[in-house]
Amino acid sequence: MPMSEHDHHTPPSDLALRVKALESLLVEKGLVDPAALDILIDTYEHKVGPRNGAMVVARAWSDPAYKARLMEDGAAAIGELGFTGRQGADIVVVENTERVHNMVVCTLCSCYPWPVLGLPPVWYKSAPYRARAVREPRAVLAEFGVTLADGVEVRVWDSTSEVRYLVLPRRPAGTESLSEDELADLVTRDSMIGTGLALTPGAKREPTP
Amino acid sequence: MNGAHDLGGMDGFGPIAPEANEPVFHAEWERRIFALTLAMGAHGAWNIDMSRHARERVDPGEYLRASYYEHWLHGLETLLVESGLVAADELAACYAAAPGNAAAPGNAAEDEG
Amino acid sequence: MPVLKAENVLAVLRKGDSARVDADAAPKFRPGARVRVRNLNPKGHTRAPRYIRNKVGTIARDHGVFVFPNTHAHGQGTRPQHVYSVRFEGRDVWGDDAPAGEAIYMDLWDDYLEPA
Repeated sequence: MPMSEHDHHTPPSDLALRVKALESLLVEKGLVDPAALDILIDTYEHKVGPRNGAMVVARAWSDPAYKARLMEDGAAAIGELGFTGRQGADIVVVENTERVHNMVVCTLCSCYPWPVLGLPPVWYKSAPYRARAVREPRAVLAEFGVTLADGVEVRVWDSTSEVRYLVLPRRPAGTESLSEDELADLVTRDSMIGTGLALTPGAKREPTP
Repeated sequence: MNGAHDLGGMDGFGPIAPEANEPVFHAEWERRIFALTLAMGAHGAWNIDMSRHARERVDPGEYLRASYYEHWLHGLETLLVESGLVAADELAACYAAAPGNAAAPGNAAEDEG
Repeated sequence: MPVLKAENVLAVLRKGDSARVDADAAPKFRPGARVRVRNLNPKGHTRAPRYIRNKVGTIARDHGVFVFPNTHAHGQGTRPQHVYSVRFEGRDVWGDDAPAGEAIYMDLWDDYLEPA
């Protein structure tokens, strides 16, 4: 049983006050440096995001030797581009092919390759995806607008350890003449989780932030 | 533990319903609890496995009701008290005294006996 | 007790949080081996979900030696051991009604597994 009625059903409107009070307490006790908090927030809100992963994918599409290194040791190759840090010490890259489509989930919590994708979206951390991705992956893909050809094997990677998974989406046709930067623009966050495909050139959208 | 967090294969959840162009944080308090958790982790008073287990131990109904960063708040509170960095009564007093808390002394319509 | 100072944040983040252990633990299994997930139901922390317990799969990859969460979460030490990527056929996990052509890959520690 929970110890106090506050703990059991905190109405959402109290959360802001609760967190503020907790922060004040921890600052008062000299346990946190408020300026450090601001840098942590700025780093993951503005500096680290899926554009990192898009650049890794674009490099792998463009440079077969890089791709080979990426498939051999994901974290090391990703580190060559300067993307290192929390939740990315060990990264395995899984490649989509004509025969295999990969999808990543963390059924137990929200494990996600922060250095290449930033922080996970709410849907990735929520019960419907966590429950259904391993149970009915094709139905989940259909919700994301992805239909795979018959005979394609779906592999769902449940991130139960500290190894993090990054999907290498298939390179779209008609992209031979594109620069790495232009290729990166086609690589959506969802395509690197496996709930989407890379965009075809000419699809109108914002580049991956 | 066979907790509510162990969701793989559980039925009854509806559509995934992704939000288009979702912001990284949906409220200021989410930013703060994210940063507080990472900053407090740097003390070395607990490890990542302890922090996951702390989040898992919340009441199952509450786990399924709560939003993601509420899990982080529950978890941090548990870790702070269990590690001894903050005393349980210190934490309770800090919340009780927070402005707008209906259960704070003087704020409630009547005290329970 | 070190307080995280603003000027150290980026360095601390860059350093990361690897759970890999430089220890000489011998693997119990080799890629290709058939394994069953042991029917362990600890009250404490585990990273073997309920849906995979008792299921039989194939070792796809040996990730190397890592901290063991079941002990680490309870202050009982790192108990370093091999973690494997194990492949399970969808039908072996969910039954014959499940579609063909679906597989689950899960990372599992030596202590979670027994030969099948």
